[in-house]
Amino acid sequence: MVYNDGTRAVEGISFSVDEGEFFGFLGPNGAGKSTTIKVLTTLLRKNSGKVSVSGLDLDKSPGEIRKAVGVLSQETSLDVDLTGWENLHLQGRLQQMSGRVLDERVAELLKLVQLEDVAKKPAGHYSGGMRKRLDLASALIHRPRLLFLDEPTTGLDTQSRAAIWEYLEGLNRNEGITIFLTTQYLEEADRLCRKLSVIDHGQLIANGTPSELKESIGGDTINLTLKDATLRPTVKEILRAVPGVIDVIDSDGGVTAYAKSAGQIIAAIITSLDRAGIQPSFLSISSPTLDDVFLRKTGRRIRAEELSMKETEPFLT
Amino acid sequence: MTILYDTQSLLERYLTKLIRNPTLLGTNLVTPVIFLVLFSQLLTKFGEFIPSTPGGYLAYLTPGVIMLNAMISAPLGGVSLANDLNSGFLSKMLLTQVSRPAILLGRLVTDMLIAVAESIITIVVALLMGVQFSSGPPGILLILVTVAFFEFALSGIFLTVGIRTRKTETISALSGVLFFPLIFISSAMFPISFFPSWAQTFSNYNPVSYASDVTRNLVAGGLTFNSLVSAYLLIGIIAGLTFAATLLQFRKVVS
Repeated sequence: MVYNDGTRAVEGISFSVDEGEFFGFLGPNGAGKSTTIKVLTTLLRKNSGKVSVSGLDLDKSPGEIRKAVGVLSQETSLDVDLTGWENLHLQGRLQQMSGRVLDERVAELLKLVQLEDVAKKPAGHYSGGMRKRLDLASALIHRPRLLFLDEPTTGLDTQSRAAIWEYLEGLNRNEGITIFLTTQYLEEADRLCRKLSVIDHGQLIANGTPSELKESIGGDTINLTLKDATLRPTVKEILRAVPGVIDVIDSDGGVTAYAKSAGQIIAAIITSLDRAGIQPSFLSISSPTLDDVFLRKTGRRIRAEELSMKETEPFLT
Repeated sequence: MTILYDTQSLLERYLTKLIRNPTLLGTNLVTPVIFLVLFSQLLTKFGEFIPSTPGGYLAYLTPGVIMLNAMISAPLGGVSLANDLNSGFLSKMLLTQVSRPAILLGRLVTDMLIAVAESIITIVVALLMGVQFSSGPPGILLILVTVAFFEFALSGIFLTVGIRTRKTETISALSGVLFFPLIFISSAMFPISFFPSWAQTFSNYNPVSYASDVTRNLVAGGLTFNSLVSAYLLIGIIAGLTFAATLLQFRKVVS
């Protein structure tokens, strides 16, 4: 997918999502997640490639696809002058619903997202979490079998995030709705998704279930933080020589080593480092996380990237 | 018909938004009264210069105020569409099964209704102030139809700019630049015989003059079939052009 200004947003990616799946598209800001969703939901036209959604060809039946899918965009898009009830009702009418069927569906969804009490208040008076819930309800109005969610919890507080997670798990488990979710939160992908694709710079770098991806690391991770970054090459060399270490890579502030059972070789690692006169300022052992998967494939951490992006923002403008 | 159902749904949305915004609604409804009372009172003596107009300057001015109001409310649609584009609401609509043209039609019909409502207020105030509408209720109905058609032609300009620039500031700036010459170098507010010759020439081609003259002839009497046809033809051409431009811009967003 190439934008008019020549920006290559997503290139050469290929994946499939089964019916009833809870699928996650994980990647940092600007990885190409939103672009992919926009293409899949008919909002952006792709330059090349083949896409089928709900068994329908994207180029041939965009109208049919719109009927079958519900979309929750990253930016909450509600009419803030209209009440919660009116927002849902309008969305239903635009989906060609009417009469009692629509009224009942609106009532049902307001109950699902727990907005019955404020249904008659303009959406402009809602909190961020309430708006997101209303937006989610409006994506569900026409009973789609496939739901696209573009970073549904970005910018929400912990409580609102947990509420959204619960609704989504319920929709997938109880109603069998297939869910395609993009996220930059590892915790979210780990908790919700049964299958994952990791995307970075417009390209897929890993596929599989969260546990498969973690297993692909090959064991535990040992993180070493160094006071002196110039020691990195020496430390990597020392660690590679320790029996049981599978791989060693650079990480933020130090190095990360992968090993089958870290507990058994940690003494050997410390001894080797000590012999070379190197004392790490911090050392930790952990089971692999999705962040480690990202680090292994890209050499960067998702979280570190988010932090560094925030740091470049001007404090006050 | 999907297109009618969707146009109606969106019309209801825009009208609800208008009601929820009392300042905007109030301004729109009060403006006609202010213009009519202000201009007619300030320029009462002007009636002495136009003895041929029964009812004096107030009767002359009434059609001009009707057109002025239509012009002032014409940018509302463009502003609304630009806001929908920026907030993501338009994308959200495009993800539904809504008939695409209905998104434009719903807004155009809203703008036309606002102009008609303002015209009705202007006419009622004019009647209360003693203006006689020689052509009676059928004439008043034709005035409202003319205003609605005129508004349709004008709204297209701002819908096009709104979709293209997505900036409401651009729309307000453009409306000022466009409207002052169009309204004042026309027969809307003053008879063109008072103008220098270049302004008379401009006024003779100005669609605002045509729309005002038709309305004025319906107030004072003397509407000819030919003047009605030529006014509708000119407004029709402008409406065709602005609607085509709107569609063209809209298509770029939709696809």
